[in-house]
Amino acid sequence: MSFIALKMLFGDRAKYLGIVIGLTFASLLITQQSAIFAGMMTRTFSFLTDVALPDIWVVDPQVKYIDDIRPMQNTEVLRVRGVEGVQWAVPLYKGNLAVRRTDGTYQSCVVIGLDDETLMGGPPTMLVGKLSDLRRSGGVIVDITGAAGKLAHVRPDGTRVPLKVGDEMEINDNHAVVVGICKVTQTFQANPVIYTTYSSATSFAPSQRLLLSFVTVKAKPGQDLHALCRRIEKVTGLRAYTRDDFKMVTFLYYLRHTGMPINFLTAVALGFLVGVAISGQTFYNFTLDNLRYFGTLKAMGAKNGMLLRMILLQALVVGGVGYGLGVGAASGWGMLVGGRTQLAFRLPWHLLVVSAVAVLVICLSSAALSIRKVMKLEPAVVFRS
Amino acid sequence: MFRKYILTILALVGVGLGIVAALRSARTMVPTPMVSDAPTPPYQAFVAGAGLVEANTENIAIGTQLAGIVSQVYVKIGSPVAPGDPLFTIDDRAQRALVAQRQAAVLVAEPQVADAKYELKLAESLVPQGITVEVRDRDAFAVQKAEALLAQARADLKAAETDLERLTVRAPVAGQVLQLKIHPGEFAQVGVLAQPLILMGNVEPLAVRVDVDENDSWRVREGSPAVGYLRGNKEITTPLTYVRSEPYVIPKVSLTGAPGERVDTRVMQVIYSFPKGGLPIRPGQQMDVYIEASGKVGDRPAILRTTTVSNREPTAASR
Repeated sequence: MSFIALKMLFGDRAKYLGIVIGLTFASLLITQQSAIFAGMMTRTFSFLTDVALPDIWVVDPQVKYIDDIRPMQNTEVLRVRGVEGVQWAVPLYKGNLAVRRTDGTYQSCVVIGLDDETLMGGPPTMLVGKLSDLRRSGGVIVDITGAAGKLAHVRPDGTRVPLKVGDEMEINDNHAVVVGICKVTQTFQANPVIYTTYSSATSFAPSQRLLLSFVTVKAKPGQDLHALCRRIEKVTGLRAYTRDDFKMVTFLYYLRHTGMPINFLTAVALGFLVGVAISGQTFYNFTLDNLRYFGTLKAMGAKNGMLLRMILLQALVVGGVGYGLGVGAASGWGMLVGGRTQLAFRLPWHLLVVSAVAVLVICLSSAALSIRKVMKLEPAVVFRS
Repeated sequence: MFRKYILTILALVGVGLGIVAALRSARTMVPTPMVSDAPTPPYQAFVAGAGLVEANTENIAIGTQLAGIVSQVYVKIGSPVAPGDPLFTIDDRAQRALVAQRQAAVLVAEPQVADAKYELKLAESLVPQGITVEVRDRDAFAVQKAEALLAQARADLKAAETDLERLTVRAPVAGQVLQLKIHPGEFAQVGVLAQPLILMGNVEPLAVRVDVDENDSWRVREGSPAVGYLRGNKEITTPLTYVRSEPYVIPKVSLTGAPGERVDTRVMQVIYSFPKGGLPIRPGQQMDVYIEASGKVGDRPAILRTTTVSNREPTAASR
């Protein structure tokens, strides 16, 4: 019987294509939009993704997300070090500073100051040079996206020459030398990222009383991270987050305070509706067209359950093909374009499941209409026309 | 046949692509290792402090009492010195000339005493022959005056010699020359200078001055053991011996060096010492110091606990 069902399905090529295209479109739209949303949301805490070594981040109690920097006293590092269960604690500076380009214009850059001693929190991938080159006086490491893009020298004829090791730059009126090029996870604001040492960063930064952005903490093995956070908070009066909690806090902040979730949710819903509208209707039409075959089968003594299974099989096959094509197109496009541009594309396996469920819902709801029709079918209809 | 299944095959390929993309997204970041490991202290409870290595005599900024052009420097950077060893001399030609003058003045005064004494002796011997007592007494006064003048000339000479001596600056303690910022021909100023002429001190054993945040200072007991790690390499480490705690808590010296910097906290300074031996640690370097602490952070110290108990007792009794 399955064979007849499939023959019925593939036989009507126009309808078959129509249903599959509708489902493909729905699955493509749902997968692609949610993957871009996931990608952009991941970028909000990309700094936490890059700095993977510390377990706990200690910040001012007023800090609401990772880019909301409220500097603290330098001695807080020492106080955090003194808390029981802390293996090490090092300072980290993060701030936005103006960098003067060779053509005289300014570009705001994210400057990250690593602890002079350990250089903890370095970029994930070094392309040119070594991290320890930062110890050279005024040495900075620039990320490749910034070096080749916003910070590149622009020749009079408009060509861009990327920054390279040995080039000089001016950070907030201070002289700096590029000693390395690195690759970082794209940031949300897409400003170029510049790494330097904590002491250089504080001398680049405008004169302020407080300069310490974060105290990053590694717990001793076997410590309960949340209990350690509470201890640090009790002693210092600061706020301590585990890395995952800080990611979540940042994620929730962007979720609540930007229009992004509603934007992407609308796009996903649109995809779903288009899928239902096109596929549902076409599938129903397809069933109507084949009603006489179903009638014949019924007249030949086929039970309702068998017809139901046939329609379900047809729905699942078109669903599977549509889903596969849609997900494939979205992933292929994401990997192809995302690898070359700054596109935020991230496809956790959860999204594959979500998109599969959505397609399944579309198929089943389309099938439900058709099933109702076939169930009520009188076998006599075959003989009427 | 193939045409029939092309969509199905494409769909399977698509699911495959989706799985690849999901796997790529799931790749976790390999943490960037630190260039040098952060030290981990050996104590269960401890107070962390920032240490600055210095000489055990503290770093002595040698000054001069008299200003002038330096004519000679007797020591080199790093040379060991004993107490009283000359360090440098300020041009002393004028002072030597003065000494010579004063010596001449003494030479002038000496025969005047002899002359006056001779006159007095003569007068005394002539008293029986009828010379007046008045003349003899005058001669006696003349002797006193000449002797006073001689004493004055000698004192002047002594003063000039002392000043000459003061032009040579000597080492106050045994130690090592850590910094030498004066050279023959340079002008040595009097007073406290931002850049001392010579910085010296005793470096065996070395001392380390540990800044402890005032909020943590109550946790440091006198005599607590400590361990120090040199910045940049946690393998270079040494146990520290407690020397003293500075009784006065000072504003933290920030090392950013920016002008117009305001104080953000105050620090208690605790001095520890360690034998230098072959350790590649030099005065002026920074160390991470961990001092063993009594209680856990957040504990109430014993003294406060007893006070609370004694406060509570009368309330119970009054009831």
